[in-house]
Amino acid sequence: MRRATTALLTAGALAGTALLSGCGGSASASGDGSGARPDLSVGSAYMPQPVSDSMAAGFLTIVNKGGAADELTSVTSDAAGSVTAHETVGGTMREADRLTVPAHGRLEFRSGGDHLMFDGLKRRPEQGQMVSVVLHFAKSGELRVEMPVKPATYNPSTGH
Amino acid sequence: MRKKTYAATALLAAALMALSACDSSGGGDKPATVVAEQSSQQAATVLDQPFEKPDLVLTDTHGEKYDLRKETAGRPTLIYFGYTHCPDICPLTMSNIAVAKSKLPKAEQDKLRVVFVTTDPARDTPAELGKWLGMMDRQFIGLTGDFATIQAAARSVGIAIEPTKKDKNGKLVSVHGTQVIAFSPKTDAGYVVYGESTTVEDFTKDLPKIVKGQNP
Repeated sequence: MRRATTALLTAGALAGTALLSGCGGSASASGDGSGARPDLSVGSAYMPQPVSDSMAAGFLTIVNKGGAADELTSVTSDAAGSVTAHETVGGTMREADRLTVPAHGRLEFRSGGDHLMFDGLKRRPEQGQMVSVVLHFAKSGELRVEMPVKPATYNPSTGH
Repeated sequence: MRKKTYAATALLAAALMALSACDSSGGGDKPATVVAEQSSQQAATVLDQPFEKPDLVLTDTHGEKYDLRKETAGRPTLIYFGYTHCPDICPLTMSNIAVAKSKLPKAEQDKLRVVFVTTDPARDTPAELGKWLGMMDRQFIGLTGDFATIQAAARSVGIAIEPTKKDKNGKLVSVHGTQVIAFSPKTDAGYVVYGESTTVEDFTKDLPKIVKGQNP
């Protein structure tokens, strides 16, 4: 059991940092010229094991190394009926429409701030499992992320 | 074993994931969105002027009347205002407390009162609250009742909440408090406040002192 858990966590960590190869050889279009385009990758993805059997939160960071911004237009997952991006301001949560990933910048979903909200879960994700998520962008198309399910108390800054 | 295989498969899938479209046209520069600031506040704040325990009588998860002051008199007590349809902070906060509490000696666990007061009483019925809290710790106390009463109690301990309302898509949106307040078994006063970035380690470190009414 112990070994299995370790293996799962390692797999999760690796999957969480798996990068998108982007536009291959023509990447690093760092100039701001007309050829600039977004170059996206996703890291630090995790889902805290939800308490509820119908809804969960998910977190990740989208990094854009490209010279043009992109927009996250929607998020889908086989695991849930719907996934929406939420902004939390104070204790209030509201649904966000399109979120920009700035050129040479990042869009962060993190606990206490913006988060992905999974509604209508098909089954309750358990620690050690993976949840498949597809991020849809205005320019970069689709980006698939395997989100490891972490303990309910997981804190990415302490790593446990 | 099966789980392990599953994870390995998932990892492979993640490693193979690729961006489909790679359009080199339009270089429209969109305004940069805000990247949330990293706040690193101290977990515990010991209050110079402690809060009086709210005079709150509501309904518990068994459908019984619960008088907060009477039931928690002389007990170390943690109070949090939240709601169960909350994906992020409410379950995180309550899970952190559950794990930290489980590290206390049994006798102290039995003394500690952890009270979750719903900010969304219309959806959080006693049964709903009981089910949700029971997933984390069966000793947790869940209270529901009249919103105005709950809001007034929250305000008396410095927590601002608003009624549940519909957003532009017709979805119900509720508001949770951002703090956990610890009440001393010695004075029954709310003397320590924990912000929402408090980790399970912070609570684990502090609860042994909180149950004795000491400053963390």
